[in-house]
Amino acid sequence: MKNPLFHIILIFLLNVTYARPNTGSITGIVSDVKTQEPLAGVNVILRGTVRGATTDVQGKYMLTGIPAGIFDISFSLIGYTTQTIQKVSVQPDTTLYLDVSLTQAPIRTEQVVITASRREQSLRDVPVSVSTVTSKMIADRLSVTLDDALRYVPGVNMMSDQVNIRGSTGYSRGVGSRVLILIDGLPFITGDTGEINWETFPMFQIDRIEVVKGAGSALYGSSALGGVINVITKEISELPEIRFRLFSGIYDKPSYSKWDWSSSPRFNTGGYLSYSNRIGPFGYLVSVSRTVDESYRENDVYHRWGFYSKFNYDFSQSRNINLMTNIQWRSHGNYFWWKSLDEPTRPADSQLNGNVNSVRGNVSLAYKEILSDQFFYSLKAIYFGNFWQDDSSGRVNNTSAAHLTQLEAQGTYTTSSANILTFGIAANYDRVYSDIFGSHPGIGAAFFLQDELTPFQSLKLTAGIRYDWQIIWKKIFSSPAATSPSQFNPKIGLMFSLDPITTFRASYGGGFRYPSISELFTSVSTGVSEIRIVPNDSLKPERSVSFEIGGSRWFSDHVFLDFALFQSDYYDLIEAGVNPNKFEILFSNVTRARIRGIEAGIKTNWFSQLISTDFSYTYIDPVDLSNNSVLRFRPRHLFYASLTGNYRQLRAEVNFRYVSRVEAIDENLVRLAPIVDGDQRVACKVVDAGITYNLINAGLPLSIGLTVKNLANYYYAELIGNLAPLRTYYLSVEGSL
Amino acid sequence: MCNILVVMRFLVFIILCLLLAACDGGLAPSPPVELGFSGTVYFAPGTWPSDSLVNLWIFASQVYPLDSAKVYSGLFASPTTIFLYPSITESLKPFYADSIPYSFPLHSGTYKYIGVIQQTDADLAGLGIRVFRVVGFYKDPLNPLLPGVVEVNDSLQVKGININVDFRNPPPQPF
Repeated sequence: MKNPLFHIILIFLLNVTYARPNTGSITGIVSDVKTQEPLAGVNVILRGTVRGATTDVQGKYMLTGIPAGIFDISFSLIGYTTQTIQKVSVQPDTTLYLDVSLTQAPIRTEQVVITASRREQSLRDVPVSVSTVTSKMIADRLSVTLDDALRYVPGVNMMSDQVNIRGSTGYSRGVGSRVLILIDGLPFITGDTGEINWETFPMFQIDRIEVVKGAGSALYGSSALGGVINVITKEISELPEIRFRLFSGIYDKPSYSKWDWSSSPRFNTGGYLSYSNRIGPFGYLVSVSRTVDESYRENDVYHRWGFYSKFNYDFSQSRNINLMTNIQWRSHGNYFWWKSLDEPTRPADSQLNGNVNSVRGNVSLAYKEILSDQFFYSLKAIYFGNFWQDDSSGRVNNTSAAHLTQLEAQGTYTTSSANILTFGIAANYDRVYSDIFGSHPGIGAAFFLQDELTPFQSLKLTAGIRYDWQIIWKKIFSSPAATSPSQFNPKIGLMFSLDPITTFRASYGGGFRYPSISELFTSVSTGVSEIRIVPNDSLKPERSVSFEIGGSRWFSDHVFLDFALFQSDYYDLIEAGVNPNKFEILFSNVTRARIRGIEAGIKTNWFSQLISTDFSYTYIDPVDLSNNSVLRFRPRHLFYASLTGNYRQLRAEVNFRYVSRVEAIDENLVRLAPIVDGDQRVACKVVDAGITYNLINAGLPLSIGLTVKNLANYYYAELIGNLAPLRTYYLSVEGSL
Repeated sequence: MCNILVVMRFLVFIILCLLLAACDGGLAPSPPVELGFSGTVYFAPGTWPSDSLVNLWIFASQVYPLDSAKVYSGLFASPTTIFLYPSITESLKPFYADSIPYSFPLHSGTYKYIGVIQQTDADLAGLGIRVFRVVGFYKDPLNPLLPGVVEVNDSLQVKGININVDFRNPPPQPF
């Protein structure tokens, strides 16, 4: 696997364009000791410093700008034993070649996450439950949008386009997510409705997704009531690289002739293409995507174009800047709910001719400087624009333009080997222009502080606090909305390692969510019956308090067990209440809720990872304390199972998910919309399966996949009045040059 | 080798169980029903009349707008164009319910005016049509001021024909 051409090119590049005084570099290839296959995604860490790198798809890594000295370097990857090379000598103006082979190991060690503490740390040091989705899992499961990639994360379930982490969100009619989503650490919630727009994420450029469960506002501010999802994009490769993925899927016919509305087959197709390169200190990546989903439902067609770019410039060995742009054009037919269960693939008549056109995207800038091996800081800015217009046969024609700009400065100071301080400030400016939400400016500011102590090698303590302040004006230069402007949120965490294979954790944290502009100021006829949505600018922020204890342990080198007990209390939850006499919908703080539960996961691997399994179960007890009833739109049981087999270049995977029938829904929504048969719902029991064959041994840098989603063609509704996708067959090709 | 077989058998067993679990089909269309339409009548709380409620019917008229002459001919002449739901009075006893689901069997056709009619006096012979008043009607989803039109065809029962009744604020009367 040692490619001499790679070394020659590397030497040329390094000598011609990348030589730096008094520093050296380390580069090489990481491979599997048994198969000699290159390993992608290996974390390469220069111990005792904040420097690190990740291997690319060809197993290559490069650490540059290293001050001359003696270092220990560790190489870690999930499923492999971490290898540490000690006393590596780095000489000025030289490049050290260090190829490493890792041994497959049953014990999962040193997986690195960044979201739980705003800095890179080992997963076993994190005091809260964290799950990750890797880019490989996204590719293997052929997840086209981000929400699709989260459907097998323990404790997470999707309700159409709204994400629930341990029952946090329910269904809030498309506004006000109770889970915060980040892109490379910066909030990515729309400025008008405060929701997550799943399609805007550049799926082909995601390195991993980290899901932190429980209230997380002590580090990230508003919306982190139930958890935080951080989408981390790929680094620019060190050498020229072309990557692509093409897929084409066809929806199966429904079993019932009544449901078969289309005389022609319905396809879901798409492609991604990217090119990246580095020229000395300058690296760049450009990517384009095109997806067309004809859908299994009438007037539910999606057309999407996406453009993504990332530019990186290393000013020196310790300073760099990244610029990312990401924009998505979308045209989507209106499909809010079915006509009836007799015709669930057709929308209600009133939605038949409508569509929504949108342009969404962000520009973000991140500057990072390492001032010493003990201190570094970063400055980040992101602009998120969200423009949409709907056209529903002239009945409703709404538009919205939301501009959200956020700034953040963060410092991380390692005061000693036993103490790490993380602190920072943040600010945001929000401006919305809409015929239904009005025109409203808003500003906010925050500071946060976190201290991580390691009094003993086996014990880690974390404490932090964040103060947030925000004001949204009814109109510019007018009085603000009555929403409470100030929020304090603490966090406390504890991690205890009983031995190298057993850990215990406990955490407590606060969360809150400022009401979105749409909840405060929407004033519009729904276009359905005579119902109107009326504004309520006296909404208070929602709040939550989460507590969790948990632990994990390896058994007999093949079995990994993780468990957690959790409780979250929610205060002043905002619900869209319906006044049937006035035919008005009004958002108000009405619900006090408590969600308790348990979560257990068990991962196994057998025969040198020839076969691996992953099971998780989450029990949720969602109680609406306002009226002592079951909290609406929360399933009680989640069970996910995955079976994967690897044999040479062949990989096969079967995934199953069970989400129990939602016990309570919004009857008023069903009645007043009206959604015919809207109360008809069942448990979700879906099997997805896929098989991938890598042609690398045939000399082709390609892999071919066949994926079948909803293999048993099971009919269910994640959201009332919405039939979930039918069985779909996909063929995909992925490669890199 | 023995371990391999045991594990493989166990995993195959799990896969089969999961596939079987997903094979019960899930949601399905409703079984064949009588032609017509169905829905729920919702009564505004606290508006039930205490002394002028003799009877209530759901009606479906193929003619709109209506006047007194059309009501008589529609009900009693041939062909019939106004149909009365036969048993709402019995279904509603005792009165003062918040809502009542109904299923109105009808032959195929276009129904232009569907609503709930209240009989205010038992003296049907003496007072004639004056004993009736419309207290709620099915509204056009696109224009709530107008009655909604329902097409009953020969394959499906039309669902979701909900009617809001407010005895204190009846809609404009057609006769």
